Amino acid sequence: MSSEEIYKGVILDHARHPRNRGNLEDPDFEAKAYNPLCGDELVLHLRLKQDLIEDCRTLVRGCSICQASASMMSEELKGKSMENAAALSGIFKKVLHQKDSEDSETLENLRPLMNLRSHKSRIKCVSLAWNAFDECVEKFHETTEKTTTPS
Amino acid sequence: MLSEETVVLDQSVSNSSPDSRSPQLDLSQIRNRFPILSREIHGHPLAFLDNASTTQKPDSVIQAMVDFFQQSNSNVSRGVYTLAEEATENYEEARKTVAKLLNAVSEDEVIFTSGTTAAVNLVAQSWASQQLKAGDRILVTEMEHHSNLVPWQQLCKQLGIELDYWTIDREGCLDLEELNQLLSENTKLVAMTAISNVLGSINPVGEVVKRAHSIGAAVFVDAAQAVARMPIDVQKWDCDFLAFSGHKLYGPTGIGVLWVKQEQMQKMSPWQTGGGMISKVDRQESHWASGPAKFEAGTPPVAQAAGLTAAIDFILETGFDSITRHETELTQICLDKLQSETDVEIYGPTSMESRAGVVAFNLRGVHPHDVAQVLNESGIAVRAGHHCTQVLHSKLGLQASVRLSVGVYNTEEEILRLVTSLQHVRDLLK
Repeated sequence: MSSEEIYKGVILDHARHPRNRGNLEDPDFEAKAYNPLCGDELVLHLRLKQDLIEDCRTLVRGCSICQASASMMSEELKGKSMENAAALSGIFKKVLHQKDSEDSETLENLRPLMNLRSHKSRIKCVSLAWNAFDECVEKFHETTEKTTTPS
Repeated sequence: MLSEETVVLDQSVSNSSPDSRSPQLDLSQIRNRFPILSREIHGHPLAFLDNASTTQKPDSVIQAMVDFFQQSNSNVSRGVYTLAEEATENYEEARKTVAKLLNAVSEDEVIFTSGTTAAVNLVAQSWASQQLKAGDRILVTEMEHHSNLVPWQQLCKQLGIELDYWTIDREGCLDLEELNQLLSENTKLVAMTAISNVLGSINPVGEVVKRAHSIGAAVFVDAAQAVARMPIDVQKWDCDFLAFSGHKLYGPTGIGVLWVKQEQMQKMSPWQTGGGMISKVDRQESHWASGPAKFEAGTPPVAQAAGLTAAIDFILETGFDSITRHETELTQICLDKLQSETDVEIYGPTSMESRAGVVAFNLRGVHPHDVAQVLNESGIAVRAGHHCTQVLHSKLGLQASVRLSVGVYNTEEEILRLVTSLQHVRDLLK
């Protein structure tokens, strides 16, 4: 797909006007992700109300694809339970990495990013925010295990 | 084994020196020798402007490797049959060709590695880890590629050695006055690149060696960028170690060179051990081979050596005087054009006197990755990122940059196409 198609519409809008940008003052979970290939970096903050993602912020130092993906992810995460969001992350990454895999209805709002599947070098840019989220999921599970496992 | 063509090329080699009347390249003839240049990318002819990263291969390099696989494929140094003898001869011929390229005293100073990175690690482990001790100092420049930085950094941590940085000035050059202040009696090694892979700065290696030797420090030269851009004379520079990768001088990947001055090689212990590097193995003890073989454990890159010989022949046949002239002209055009764009920020020396064919820049307000992606739409291959120089990029206050780097086959049209295509980037992203 051409650059015109990539850098238009939804992606460019998110890159230029990233949603949920910044830090949370007292996040329940924080994760940093780093792309060693280009030096792009990203910080993700989550605030939970029980297991629901109440608020989500990202701070990105990266290219427009990375920025747009983080912005779109933040919109998806808000209001979802951690379990549902983790499942979405799994589906998103699976579809992203398998060019021929079936697109899923779950990915409705993230579909514009799937256009980048043919640009292997940019898949890391798309994934960065989700890698940070997966780290938060791991931390969430550790916390839940601690609180549910009798000591 | 040399092909007939290689022998002919060999005879035409001259010990070229830069000359103001350097002959102009026959560009169309040169380009015809690179099959990949006939490729189209998104309907445009490929403009490969990422030569600091790797270079494309001329027909003679490709053919030399095909010939080896089709005619002589065998392991080296062991067999007595014809193929094995040819393979060994082919491999050792490459060593002689490298010695000629570097004006080494002997081919016994030439160790084959997998590339520059392996060569740096080899010196760090085989020489520096034995010769340096806690309290000693290693001096590197701020413009080093990670390959000539991280191995030293790690060694410093292991041994309690101090790592000093020689800072760059506003133009991205090194100041020799500062060097005098940095060199101390504890400095045992200066590790520096001959040409920066980002700024294009040409560093005063000979002068550095003189000053380093005067206080007893050895000098390691990273010639990865220099080897295809300027004539190298290790005797004139008088350095102790020098490394480069085959794929940066129109040769294959998987082979590189570590040149070591004889007196230093005698101090080196093996890094990797195994087959091919021994003279005798007993049940509990082993004895090492002498010369470069001691540092070439395992089956070496034999086919790549054939390609490397052909690549060096190609370079010497083309002549450094015409290569330098061509690349300087293109880089000057590029600098002139980019400097006239008000939203382009260029890094590195402004004068071509101290700059090779590498230009790093940023288009204000657009991430380098996005610039490179859109340029690709016009068939232009440039690099975006930190180019394995994060210390340099943070010194410049940058996260990343776009880098174009010219080679022997690039044309003025390609440079102009890049400049024109920047407008396309602006239209889409600004």
